Amino acid sequence: MKPVDLARKLRREATFDPAALDRGKAVLMAAVRQEVEPMRRPTIVPQLPYQDIGAALSFLQRAFGFSEISTSRLVDEDGVIHHALVEFGDGVMGIGTQGAHGAISPRSAGIETQYISVYVTDVDAHHQRALAAGARIAHGPHSHSGHRAYEALDLEGHRWRFLQQLREVPIH
Amino acid sequence: MTMSPPSDAEVIGRSLGEPEAFGLIYDRHAATLLRFLGRRAGAKVAEGLVGELFRIAFERRKMFDASRASALPWLYGIGSNLLLKHRRGEARRLRASAQMAAGLEAADRRASARALDARVLFSRVADAIEALPDGEREALLLFAWEELSYQGVAEALELPIGTVRSRLNRARARLRELLNTNGKNRVRS
Repeated sequence: MKPVDLARKLRREATFDPAALDRGKAVLMAAVRQEVEPMRRPTIVPQLPYQDIGAALSFLQRAFGFSEISTSRLVDEDGVIHHALVEFGDGVMGIGTQGAHGAISPRSAGIETQYISVYVTDVDAHHQRALAAGARIAHGPHSHSGHRAYEALDLEGHRWRFLQQLREVPIH
Repeated sequence: MTMSPPSDAEVIGRSLGEPEAFGLIYDRHAATLLRFLGRRAGAKVAEGLVGELFRIAFERRKMFDASRASALPWLYGIGSNLLLKHRRGEARRLRASAQMAAGLEAADRRASARALDARVLFSRVADAIEALPDGEREALLLFAWEELSYQGVAEALELPIGTVRSRLNRARARLRELLNTNGKNRVRS
């Protein structure tokens, strides 16, 4: 017997789950989409400073239904998150360590200097979800110039105004 | 005149501007690569690695040498690198395969004395493959199990063909020693 034939005798086929190839393709196509998606990013991306990024991410997902963009997370050697992107609809926001680019969290500053408007399809259901997740409601659901809206404060006091458009009016 | 399907190189070239096109590379080669990973590290590891392999290939596609029509050797090379992290599982599978090969040999020959020889021989072959330096083992298994040509092995491992030839010769010499120490006439086919 030739040496290579000897090695060949130990060749043995494995038996696979029929769905294995589909799962593998999903992994590839997720990477493909991630490469395509940055081109679709909005032109303006607000960056919000927080003391605790991990807690902020978890709250924004739980209370407001935002999703973290899984490839966006910047983590240091100690496992501390320094920045991440969250998306909702066609909007994207950065969630970053306070002070990294000058801005600080309202929790440290003791003052809010801005609020962010977010359009949702069912503002009352959104309000219930935020309430259940422990968001502080700064202004309960109300109607205002063609919109129904409410305002919530997140864990560190950033103010969010959620709106549902009832009829065509200029953005507030 | 009929249109021939685009070569892998053409598809990869197109995927630089149109990332989704890379899906066709998966459709063409994923089953082959899954079987390759499975032979080496078993079904479970292979199923976990196949998507990863193509994700890495996708991310490195700019580096693919467009003068090669087929992407298969290049994909094997990425797979070989991934398998380095699964050496323990590979070694376990190889030992199990040696026992099964000895069992088959015994059934073939219906001779218990020979079966015993085969058991000793195949477990030595497994040990010898295991003991080869990584580069030689990889060259041997791509050649013997995957049936890549010398050129294919050279492309997979990104080596000159002369280096592949010398690696394979060293691996062969090592296995030949086993045959000789096991007795020339005992296990023959």
